[in-house]
Amino acid sequence: MDSILQVNGLTGGYSPRRPVLHDLSFEVKAGEMVGLIGLNGAGKSTTIKHILGLMKPHEGVVLVDGTTLESDTEKYRSAFAYVPETPVLFDELTVEEHLQLTGMAYSVKEDAYTERREELLEEFQMLPKRKAFASHLSKGMKQKVMIMNALLAEPPLYIIDEPFLGLDPLGIRSLLERLVEVKGKGGAILMSSHILSTVEAYCDRFIVMHHGKIVAQGTLEEVRQAAGMEARGGGSLEDAFYKLVSRGKG
Amino acid sequence: MGAKQALEAIWAKRAKAFRKETLPYFRYMGQSGFPAFMSLLFISSAIGYFSLIRNLPEQFPVTAAGVISLTLAICWCPLRTWLEPGDTVFLMPRESDMGGYIRRSLRHTSIGCAILAGIVLLLYLPIYRQGAAPNGAWPLTLAAAGLKAGNVWGAWRERRMAWPGMRLSMRVLRWALTALVLSVWLTNAAWQAALFTVISCLLFMLLHRLPVRHRLPWERLIFEEARTRKRYYVFFGMFIDVPTLPSRTARRSYAAWLLRFIPYAGRNTFVYLYAAALVRTEIGGIVVRLLALGCLVTYWLADAASLAGWGAMLVFVLFTGVAAVQLGSLRHVHRYSVWKHVYPLPEKQRVDQYALVDRLALLVCSLLLWLSAAIPLAVAGLYVPLAAGAACALAYIAIRPSRMRRKLQQDAEEE
Repeated sequence: MDSILQVNGLTGGYSPRRPVLHDLSFEVKAGEMVGLIGLNGAGKSTTIKHILGLMKPHEGVVLVDGTTLESDTEKYRSAFAYVPETPVLFDELTVEEHLQLTGMAYSVKEDAYTERREELLEEFQMLPKRKAFASHLSKGMKQKVMIMNALLAEPPLYIIDEPFLGLDPLGIRSLLERLVEVKGKGGAILMSSHILSTVEAYCDRFIVMHHGKIVAQGTLEEVRQAAGMEARGGGSLEDAFYKLVSRGKG
Repeated sequence: MGAKQALEAIWAKRAKAFRKETLPYFRYMGQSGFPAFMSLLFISSAIGYFSLIRNLPEQFPVTAAGVISLTLAICWCPLRTWLEPGDTVFLMPRESDMGGYIRRSLRHTSIGCAILAGIVLLLYLPIYRQGAAPNGAWPLTLAAAGLKAGNVWGAWRERRMAWPGMRLSMRVLRWALTALVLSVWLTNAAWQAALFTVISCLLFMLLHRLPVRHRLPWERLIFEEARTRKRYYVFFGMFIDVPTLPSRTARRSYAAWLLRFIPYAGRNTFVYLYAAALVRTEIGGIVVRLLALGCLVTYWLADAASLAGWGAMLVFVLFTGVAAVQLGSLRHVHRYSVWKHVYPLPEKQRVDQYALVDRLALLVCSLLLWLSAAIPLAVAGLYVPLAAGAACALAYIAIRPSRMRRKLQQDAEEE
């Protein structure tokens, strides 16, 4: 499988003197969903910001679809769609207009845009809200709009930060079904979430972060092993995660 | 310190904090040409006013002018409460002690509004005396004071209403009733007007008993406070960069249809975004109001062929300039948006597309303003000022995009 996202030796943070991330290396391949997990402040969102190109690495390199941000900015950016932890919408645009803006920005063909727009509006139960302004939507609905925008672009890589916050049960199901579909079509997904049972059920591999470092990564068996548990039948992802992050507490 | 005193201390602290926060912006405003412009406007208005009262035309609509100006001054009842969204968590548990806090807000805002209404009344009285004037100055002043107090009460009751539709209906009724009562005071004997006022007020108070009300309308007050703060910053934004506050949006269907004509293509992404921002944010609202006023004043001056047509052109240039300043604030919209960095589009494209929207908007504004002068001036055969005005506007529109690009560049460097 081709590697869509490659992070090699990434050290970064807000100040060169005080790095938050320490020598991170991981990859996400086509047709793979990878769960990025860690406690609050572990460095998940900072890692995502580095991948997006919103922060400059102190050391290391981030490759999306084989290119770096500096070598080909447009190719790099068009290779991923991003769903932020907190919905960031334009107050003066309606739900439908957000989709149109995304379609235009990612150069989605007009026919495909119209078709996908209708599908997404229906699937995420947003048809009655298509003309509603972002400022008039509930938090969950705003999150749905963010997810719909990412899905509309159909890029090779999806970077999704805490997608389940505020989503209703139907929204969560639609999102997960869509992500499985995206994966089936060869899309790569990097998803950060605290809902470990869902991450365990849907992700193929996991990256466990703690204090800005990767303390374990791989399949569930590999994470269990890293936590000092039995590889097979030795407990859930949550158990392994708890062991990994509580090490050194005495 | 008791609970009520503590709340009033919070009020005083917040009022002081707001003054401290805005003081530097007032300084920046002072350093700009705005005070000079306002002084010029004040002096020209004063000259216009005194020449009007000295030679009041026979057909001057004395009553209509009084009803319009006094209704606006008396009905306008804003309220500064300094309340913030977090107060629904921290102050709401002390709602029963909030009486003093709100009374202080009402007192603080009403005094300023009453002074404004008094000034409008004082300016109107010399005009009123030249009409039928069935009443003296004192009964009118008393009636205006009573109406102002009634409006402050009515506006507060409206804020407490639970349903927005009812609030709007009662506001329309309050404004209409005030206009009606004022027209009765300006055209009838005092005893008749007083009787009418008492009956109207009783009916109005009776009606006010019907709607469902909140004890303290937290959400409404927080919304109004945020809107007022936003307006201050929109104003300061004309002189200096200001913190970005959440902008209020309006659907504005009468202009939003234009968005449908922007072709669906990657090269128009930011044209679409900036056009939507222009149409639906407060910038659009201000520009539309400015245009309406500008077209009206330009037309009046052109129709009167004031200063052989140059008066209308002066106002045309002035309003085009103010519209250009307002449109300039469009570049601050979404300045810190994450999507600017995430969308797979080159930065240059965003700058070019912004410049295109800005230029087109200014072209439309100046064309509408110019046309309102062009028709009467062309009828009067005054072509030279018309051509000079058009040349000025076109020259400015030609150089503006490079100026705006430079400003965007400066903004980007500051970031």
